[in-house]
Amino acid sequence: MARRSSSLLRPGLLIGLALLAVQFVAIVFAPWIAPFSPIEANPLDSLQPPNLVHWLGTDELGMDIFSRIVFATRVNLLIGFAAVALSLAIGVPVGVLVGYYRGLGGALVMRFFDFIQSFPVFVLGMALVAVLGQEIWSVVIVLCMLFVPMFARIVRAEVLSLRERPFIAAARCSGANDFAIMFRHILPNAMTPVIVQVSVSIGMAILLTAGLSFIGAGVRLPSPEWGLMVSSGAQQMILGIWWVALFPGLAIVFSVLSFALLSDEAQRLADTARRKEGAR
Amino acid sequence: MSASPEAPVIALEGLTVGFGGAPVLDGIDLELRPREIFGVVGETGAGKSVLARAILGQLPPGGRIEAGRILLEGRPIDALDAPQAARYRGGRVALIGTNAKALLDPVARVGDQIGRVLRAHGKPDGRTDRRSVRDRAVALMREVGINDPERRARAYPHELSGGMAQRIVIAMALAGEPEVLLADDATLGLDATVQAQVLERLVERSRERGLSVLLITHDLGIVRHYCDRLAVMRGGRLVEVSEVSRFMAHPADGYSRDLLAAARARPALQPPRKSDDRPPIVDVRDLTMHFQVPGSPQPIRAVDGISFSVAPGETLALVGESGSGKTTAGQCLLRLLDNTDGRIVFDGRDITDMKEAAFRPLRRHMQMVFQEPYVALNPRRRVRDLLAEPLALVEPMTGAERGRRVAELLAAVNLDAAVADIRPGELTAGEQKRVGIARALATKPRFVVFDEPTTALDIRVRAQIIDLIRGLQSSMNLAALFITHDLNSVRSLAHRVAVMHLGKILEQGETRAIFESPREDYTRKLLAAELPIDAETSEPASAGSAA
Repeated sequence: MARRSSSLLRPGLLIGLALLAVQFVAIVFAPWIAPFSPIEANPLDSLQPPNLVHWLGTDELGMDIFSRIVFATRVNLLIGFAAVALSLAIGVPVGVLVGYYRGLGGALVMRFFDFIQSFPVFVLGMALVAVLGQEIWSVVIVLCMLFVPMFARIVRAEVLSLRERPFIAAARCSGANDFAIMFRHILPNAMTPVIVQVSVSIGMAILLTAGLSFIGAGVRLPSPEWGLMVSSGAQQMILGIWWVALFPGLAIVFSVLSFALLSDEAQRLADTARRKEGAR
Repeated sequence: MSASPEAPVIALEGLTVGFGGAPVLDGIDLELRPREIFGVVGETGAGKSVLARAILGQLPPGGRIEAGRILLEGRPIDALDAPQAARYRGGRVALIGTNAKALLDPVARVGDQIGRVLRAHGKPDGRTDRRSVRDRAVALMREVGINDPERRARAYPHELSGGMAQRIVIAMALAGEPEVLLADDATLGLDATVQAQVLERLVERSRERGLSVLLITHDLGIVRHYCDRLAVMRGGRLVEVSEVSRFMAHPADGYSRDLLAAARARPALQPPRKSDDRPPIVDVRDLTMHFQVPGSPQPIRAVDGISFSVAPGETLALVGESGSGKTTAGQCLLRLLDNTDGRIVFDGRDITDMKEAAFRPLRRHMQMVFQEPYVALNPRRRVRDLLAEPLALVEPMTGAERGRRVAELLAAVNLDAAVADIRPGELTAGEQKRVGIARALATKPRFVVFDEPTTALDIRVRAQIIDLIRGLQSSMNLAALFITHDLNSVRSLAHRVAVMHLGKILEQGETRAIFESPREDYTRKLLAAELPIDAETSEPASAGSAA
């Protein structure tokens, strides 16, 4: 018992959860937290350093940086969650099918994934956004192109080994058909590495969204988005105007950190569970 | 028998070891005399392995000697300083563990691994240059019965069979020229003939070198054949210490009597009623299963043209060593593998080429109890769901009916109803086995393949499983194919026996006839390797090691 409680009170887990909670508060209560509109330009107040009115200063259009950071949490996390959820919904079943049936179709799907994954993300992103337009959903689709093959691969690898396990043969003897074997017997046993990967992927998605926006292949101004904000502040950095880029940068760091910490904890829990299973 | 009262090599005085909670070893008093082979018998969790680790001075993490002491030739071992302790472990007392393949370093050649021990523990005057270490390693390998040791010394552990790896571990233990060997279930998981050979070598070398051996096992047959004295362990205590011959005749303790009774074969079953008038329920003709190996022109002939039939209510035992193709044959019967050739007829219907969807309705009549209980139960599902799944094969049921049926099944295999709500990982091996049996019986099948139902179980649990299957055979008039290498359970369960070797059936016949007058050399070898606890049942085991 002593070990269990200490594993729940690990600092990594606490910090990760606390940072996540802050982000959720920002998402839900953004209009109440933010003192200014995130998209209202006020040229008279442009490039003010942090002060009592504009806590984190203003950018060159005079928009309040704190308000924009708070509202951007919605955009960035929405993109991250949507991309990962969609990728799970597509990648996991594809991985199960490809792993279970193998065969020519499966090989073709995997080669197609290889083909997609052989493009650098940013090149793929710029091309797709050029075709689809600079919308939030374009960014989600770009991220899905990245994550679907990743989840499918992870699941497929698990399924390949699980399908040979005796309990699958036992399930077949008990009358389970292919569908039941795949989704009732194999899938629950294949989910552990996926769940660990989910948290990492959300962090990656946030980072990539910011990256795409930074190079101009993501969300458009005046939408509040962290990468875009860093990008607009980057030019002022050498003029000594540090606050425009720094604060949204920190937001990215803490957001990605929270998901990275949580994925570490998920990995640890998965390992413990696996050890416990293996102990018998 | 070396019963002469000499000063003990190792003495334990009130040894108590704990891991924080209740003691795992509780006041153990034990004397290991010079040149004695001393058996320690007990079931899983009795504390046997902790005992060996304590004597070696290497308790698992968290373990602590709470009371008592361990004396080596009268001197307590905790008084040894660090270099002495290092010499003590491996140099004077050596451990031979279970599962040799896991004990060996997978990336080092086995000859070099023996060499490492020689360098660490070689006699001071021994030469430690490459050549002589190599030569001594090879000599040790020859001594433990490895053919062509010069070549084998260059092998990596994965290139060796289990028996060979176990011999390497024994050679490593002997390399330090210890005075005491601790063999902790050293032959667990090896085939009977290999086990007999390995034990024979181990005992022979130990007698020759005048070593004292602590032989830890859960197999009373091993104790009966190789040990001078024995101790029975239960729950961290020694319940009985005795001369082996006296113990076998008159066990003093109630628990010892239970163990002995459980280890004995049950009286043979009635021979099957003549079934000429009734067609066999399963009829197999020239069953063949070849596996193609990528990159090799020769397929693996796992099953190579076997024929047998099983009458309703009859049990046929398929015996043979690992790799003989028994399990593969069983899997072909249940269409888990698509056999290369031959016909399988079940209840008058040829099922050989049936598609899975067409065969599924027949599955309720043909079931299988899988070998390793834990891996054959989906770890993520509750026992209730595992048992309810096959019920869908019978007929549509309401939730309440299913619940009632699950409860009945659990009762039939003597499991508590509360087991329904837990997952397989929380069950003991014996309970998992029972769940596997209950699952196979859920559809009231007419034919069941039991794949090694008694392996890897403690003595008493094994006896319970055997009794359970016997009860089910008579109450359900079950026809069964009983795949095993445990001859003791064959005697207790099978009407007829088929002996399988390298994918072929060498001979088959009535159980009694095969056991009493085997025709084939291989069968004789198999029978001779058994270590029965009753002397009159068979020839001494030494015949098995002649090979």
